[in-house]
Amino acid sequence: MAADAEAIVAGLGGADNIIEVEPCITRLRTEVRDASKVDQAALRAAGVHGVMATGNVVQVVVGPEADTIASDIEDIVG
Amino acid sequence: MTTVLAPVAGAAIGLAAVSDLVFSQGMVGPGMAIDPERRSGAAVAPITGTIVKLHPHAYIVVGDDGKGVLVHLGIDTVQLRGEGFALLAAEGDRVLAGQPVVAWDPAAVEAGGRSPVCPVVALDAEDGMVGEVAEGRVGAGDPLFQWA
Repeated sequence: MAADAEAIVAGLGGADNIIEVEPCITRLRTEVRDASKVDQAALRAAGVHGVMATGNVVQVVVGPEADTIASDIEDIVG
Repeated sequence: MTTVLAPVAGAAIGLAAVSDLVFSQGMVGPGMAIDPERRSGAAVAPITGTIVKLHPHAYIVVGDDGKGVLVHLGIDTVQLRGEGFALLAAEGDRVLAGQPVVAWDPAAVEAGGRSPVCPVVALDAEDGMVGEVAEGRVGAGDPLFQWA
């Protein structure tokens, strides 16, 4: 199941909270402004395989469609 | 049944021993890992199929039955941005199991402070579908695990 880009953006606290999204073959390495706005339960509900947060860096494991999902997210974030 | 080949020569180890939670916890699928010999060489295709993703440090080959195998050359090697890796094939290419895909040097990765261990993952496979066949030392292109 492909994870949903809009739901991932929402789970990361919305477009305004996202500083950077970088795809790495199976995961998105994202940097957020406010880590407390990240909703891990919402991210899992969006269809991701796992979430690992260290400070303001949140790794969202989405599987091999990471490149496509990252560009979808970049379109949303603008 | 798909026989997944070792992409590099080295010691076959469990995925649980990999120093990256995405792999050690099987978030993208079960599989095995290889602690590679510290000499430069070519990483090969683990199965016959199409290269659907090709990064310098990682690639995915999908077989005709839709099974995808991920090979990741070292841990956190995305940070190297391709330095020290040379592509020997192109994304979209059809490859035979054992065909060279990327040339790299595990010793250089290690010298840069990163683990050169290579996870080999049966993407989105159920845990019970993968059986280990290799133990100890394997050569590039030797059978590594079976995927039912």
